[in-house]
Amino acid sequence: MLGQTRLSVLGLLYGRPDEARYLNDIVRAVGAGTGAVQRELARLTAAGLLRRVVRGKQVYFQANPDAPIFPEIRGLIVKTVGAVGVLRSGLEMLGDGIHLAFIYGSVARGEETVASDVDLIVIGAAGLFDVVSALAPAQETLRREVNPAVFPRAEARRKLRKGDPFLTAVVEGPKLFVIGGERELAELVC
Amino acid sequence: MSLQSWSADGRLVPHRVSRDEVAALLAMVHHSLEQCRIAGLSPDWQLNIAYNGVLQAANAALLAAGYRAPAGEGHHYVVLQSLLYTVGLDATTVQKLDTLRKKRHVATYARAGSVSDREARDALELIDGICADVEAWLRHVDPEPTGG
Repeated sequence: MLGQTRLSVLGLLYGRPDEARYLNDIVRAVGAGTGAVQRELARLTAAGLLRRVVRGKQVYFQANPDAPIFPEIRGLIVKTVGAVGVLRSGLEMLGDGIHLAFIYGSVARGEETVASDVDLIVIGAAGLFDVVSALAPAQETLRREVNPAVFPRAEARRKLRKGDPFLTAVVEGPKLFVIGGERELAELVC
Repeated sequence: MSLQSWSADGRLVPHRVSRDEVAALLAMVHHSLEQCRIAGLSPDWQLNIAYNGVLQAANAALLAAGYRAPAGEGHHYVVLQSLLYTVGLDATTVQKLDTLRKKRHVATYARAGSVSDREARDALELIDGICADVEAWLRHVDPEPTGG
């Protein structure tokens, strides 16, 4: 199967094919090393799946809508890791109310089936009902149930310090960052 | 949509209820709303118990309106949605209850520990308000208009 970094890059860019993003932005969102992300971007661009655009001094990458298999990849990605882009569009509506959000469980492990729910951890001041309402359009797009678990930062930090089994397992397991990344997670764990 | 149309398509069946039946359900509601606040419960359990309370409250209102939801798949969903037509709750509030239904299902069957303290607190607040609305509504409805 595809490697985690490649999946994350494809998920980010095919999840929002209308957006071009520059390298540092992609590295931060994917939460992998700069070198690994650069290699994936080069491979995917060479394969024709991504478009590389130079604007001023910045190099941007975007899903290539002219790729012959664009519709297939887009369809696959939207239903799997592209959930990242779709969920981000929804959660961004809540602005500062969300500090960190990531997918965990079978979708993050790349082991999901068509029927799998998307399990989501949301850390921030936003409440469950606001999060669910912001995610309603994303759920429609994905045609999957999205199950958010919403923790205020202080509660998440306290529970992680006490070794809460659920939060510890999801933090240590595979993740696909939707809002924030490793830095925000590290702030929570330390 | 109405309870009558749900009865016509089989989601509900007519039911003749007694005052005792409604009173027994309301006693369970009160019990649940007390039990979910016992110190030391995990948020998963708090949600589970409070959810059971609001389900019984919605059921009491449905029975008082002359219907019941047959057991089986979708039973909880139908009972909670019926609050739109019994008590006349707004769609946003019923949607929030549906969120809690899914949340409780996931926490019970797939993701133990996935309910946060904050989520449980918000759930209890919502459920308290809905149960109070149901009781206020029931005070104006006689489930046995012909006596008995």
